[in-house]
Amino acid sequence: MLFHMLLAGLVALLLPLSPAADAAERIHLGPGPVDWQGDLSPIASSEWSYDRAAHLLERAGFSGTPEEIERLAAMTPEQAVRRLVHYESIDNGHLPPFDESGVHDPGLVPFPPSRPATTQLAKENGEALGVKVKASGNRRLQPVVNKFFYWLRASMLETRRVSYWWANRMLNTNRPLEEKMALFWHGHFATSEAKVRDYRKMLLQNETFRRHATGNFRDLVVAVAQDPAMLYFLDAGVNVKGAPNENFAREIMELFTMGVGNYTEKDIREAARAFTGWNSDDLTFVVNGAQHDDGTKRFLGNQGGFDGVEVIDLIMAQAVTAEFMTAKLYGYLVRQEFSPALNGKLAAILRDNNYEMKPLLQTVFLSRDFYSPASMGTHIKSPTELVVSTYKKLGVDDVPGIPDFNMVVTALGQELFWPPTVAGWAHGRSWITPGLLLERGNFARAVLFPDIDFIPRDRYQASLMLREVHARIKQGLDITSATLPGYGNGGMMMAESNMMADRDEDFNTRFGSYRGWQMAIERVKPLPRHTARLNLSAMVMEAGLRNTGEVVDYFLDRLMRTPLGKTERNLLVTFLDGELGTSDITVAETYLEAPLRALVHLIMSQPEYQLG
Amino acid sequence: MRNTFSAQQDLTRRDTLKTGLLGMGAAGALGLPPFFGRAANAMVKYSGNHNDNRILVVLELSGGNDGLNTLVPYGDDAYYQQRPTIGIKPEAVRKIDDHFGFNPGLVGFERLYKDGKMAVVHGCGYENPSFSHFTSMAYWHTAAPNSGAEYGWLGRLADAVKPGGASNYIVNIDATQSLAVRSRDHVPVVFDAPDKFAREGFHSQQPLFQHVAGANGVTNPSRDYLLNIAQSALDASALVRQAWTDYHSPVDYGIAPIDLPKIAALIHANMPTRLYYTTFRNNAFDTHVHQSNLHQRLLTYAADAVAGFMADLERIGRADDVIVLLFSEFGRRVPENTSLGTDHGAAGLMFMVGKPVKGGHYGQIPSLTELDAGDNLIYTTDFRRVYATAIDGWLGYQDTHSLLDGDFKPFDMFA
Repeated sequence: MLFHMLLAGLVALLLPLSPAADAAERIHLGPGPVDWQGDLSPIASSEWSYDRAAHLLERAGFSGTPEEIERLAAMTPEQAVRRLVHYESIDNGHLPPFDESGVHDPGLVPFPPSRPATTQLAKENGEALGVKVKASGNRRLQPVVNKFFYWLRASMLETRRVSYWWANRMLNTNRPLEEKMALFWHGHFATSEAKVRDYRKMLLQNETFRRHATGNFRDLVVAVAQDPAMLYFLDAGVNVKGAPNENFAREIMELFTMGVGNYTEKDIREAARAFTGWNSDDLTFVVNGAQHDDGTKRFLGNQGGFDGVEVIDLIMAQAVTAEFMTAKLYGYLVRQEFSPALNGKLAAILRDNNYEMKPLLQTVFLSRDFYSPASMGTHIKSPTELVVSTYKKLGVDDVPGIPDFNMVVTALGQELFWPPTVAGWAHGRSWITPGLLLERGNFARAVLFPDIDFIPRDRYQASLMLREVHARIKQGLDITSATLPGYGNGGMMMAESNMMADRDEDFNTRFGSYRGWQMAIERVKPLPRHTARLNLSAMVMEAGLRNTGEVVDYFLDRLMRTPLGKTERNLLVTFLDGELGTSDITVAETYLEAPLRALVHLIMSQPEYQLG
Repeated sequence: MRNTFSAQQDLTRRDTLKTGLLGMGAAGALGLPPFFGRAANAMVKYSGNHNDNRILVVLELSGGNDGLNTLVPYGDDAYYQQRPTIGIKPEAVRKIDDHFGFNPGLVGFERLYKDGKMAVVHGCGYENPSFSHFTSMAYWHTAAPNSGAEYGWLGRLADAVKPGGASNYIVNIDATQSLAVRSRDHVPVVFDAPDKFAREGFHSQQPLFQHVAGANGVTNPSRDYLLNIAQSALDASALVRQAWTDYHSPVDYGIAPIDLPKIAALIHANMPTRLYYTTFRNNAFDTHVHQSNLHQRLLTYAADAVAGFMADLERIGRADDVIVLLFSEFGRRVPENTSLGTDHGAAGLMFMVGKPVKGGHYGQIPSLTELDAGDNLIYTTDFRRVYATAIDGWLGYQDTHSLLDGDFKPFDMFA
């Protein structure tokens, strides 16, 4: 066994690195021995292989093409891990910055918390959101209300564009761990556009996650706590001296650092006092001295006139903080089931390095435990991991517009920038339901055989009500009649609407919603709507594959990290034989593409395809 | 013809398959809140009325239903002072006693109430209410207000009653899985259209879709789990589609039947499901503007669907086994707004409907004159009491303290 592994490692090192290296020549040195589990000592160079490099890319990134895996496999394991973890010197200049549509204007600052607050402000000040109240006549507040809805819609659509931009970064970055960890922090410090309602803040927070992705955890917590998205999301604005709001103070301990049960309600109240006065002036963190409570606090057994940063430092001094974080991080990067003893070792590494994360990551990715049977091929991919890795494995370098990335990850349960609660997403097995497993296979089909009836939801108004309003406004109906719910649903409603002249009112919300959509669709740049440009036939021909068995093995190797059973593999060969009418690839060379796509769809529909 | 086996045979086979495969509740040690650990480790405690045929259907009215215009306190002058325009006149309401009457659209509810099959629970809410749909709904889903619980209350219930998971125990009919059913051990059967709960693919691919590798001898626990899900999806999807094909009901569920006919079809097909979850979708009850006609229509749809469901249960002989719990993430503000609608409020109504339900009023009626600082009803009934009523009183699982993380006394609501 040991001899075999040493030999295999040696052969792997000597392998040619050409991209067209035949899959058959690759040494498939999979998981190590069972007793590697729980062992954090590094693997030896002789224990490195193509499969283990592929595993590393799955976890420290979003999987890899065979070429990318070969490059890592050709290094020593330590070099490979260093390259992924210490990525600062690796150029990422080919990734464009987010392409702003230019939907924001200074009048939108500060954006009131609700429509009633907006109209109230307009009544009091004669203007709001940079729009003056109409000089006279009916619905004098209408332009203000239109602007209010415009921004809600525009920010939502723009956030979906940010999501596309991020997905393309995940796909094309030279620093995959940076994006992988940014995704982790997004789920950890879960903040939703549903409440923040400002794509600029969501984008800033995303950049904060990236800047601190593998840096110092304490610095990250401070940065997130001072980012406008989190300040707004957890109600910093109403956390003031004399009337502290506990929302952030509770979550920072319960969800972000320590876990429930390691502090008291009194600690929460005291911490809230320390964070009083923290706020943002649009996109800038500010401390409002007059609203800050600088009195003495008793927090986690300490006493002093603490401010927010000092409270964070006191949290970092708790032993449980490192344990909470390593458990969560290990669950995300490696596996969800492991012993408290192992977690204790991981937490010690984090603590001993003063919360610097790179030493921990370096140790984890190099460890025998990471390459043990308990770790390799046991991770159920999140929707984002599944979608991005699917495009990567298919050689697609631009996230397609059909199917729509956001609609896919939403349907699969992970709508980026809209996490379900402040607790983020539940990982692992909760990603999979029977319906969702079928949906994952249907996603693959939508990539390989795209819909020809796709409706772009960033242009098309899905609400029947608003489409009806649009139709009635075009017909020249007054706003009251045009916006009456149920208009046209039956004689009774018609009659009632006819009895009603255009109502006197300050504004009409339904019309505002409609007009807001119209303005947003006009100003937010459209998402690209290309389909994936695939050429599976070229992959087969370039690899010089001769028969259907080789083709199936090639795609299984390219797409899967957990091997299929022999029966299932043979069923796929039989299927491809039937589709091609031959097992000889040279005979079928001119009509390969559709059968290959059907084959890949079948592979991607396998339960094992969900694993990485 | 695929899948000609009967539902009962199929379930037996799968239950056997599941046993021992999904017995791993490894969440305990790994930094999950101790609360979940307790729920997982609790002995399954049943009261005397435990009955495996009993089914709970939860119907979410999303958007924040206006309780005051649903069950109108027409005997209270304060109601008309707060709602001079959209208040429903005493002569229009469907009176059930000398104080309350249903919205004119609620023909179905009026009948269910008068037949003694509807419990109305007043003043349902929680401490420090959130006025965000998103946040408040998450609180109701997790039964953990002002907190960030990972699993839903029905998911935790399933984990407690059937540790390790069981096939088709929870069905959630929706486009996405509700947080309410998110479970550690269970695989909620989540689908939307029964006829589309299927793999999309070519005719020639179908035989391969019908093949799922056996999990015997698989050592990778995640792979084992996925193979079981795949088998469950294959079986459930066929079952669901078959149930839907076999289901022909003469009962009229109204214009918007929500998903209740789908649930009736599954109950009719003897699915082993005990927890069903479905939603009146798209924040429909968010009636900020011109609410009177719209709200009445929405209520009519909901009442027609629920009344139709009850009639259908009678027809298939399962009326004694099923109750429906209706809730919304909040009620609406007491005073009407200037747009002939109402804004997000706090306390609201919950309903429990079914033949086994002892109809009537439950909970203390909140005051219309002593409101909170935001002109909202102050809650009188923690909504988790109603959950506890369903969990303990109906399904017979007694340790509601662990499940709901507190003492919530069930109402005596079942005959």
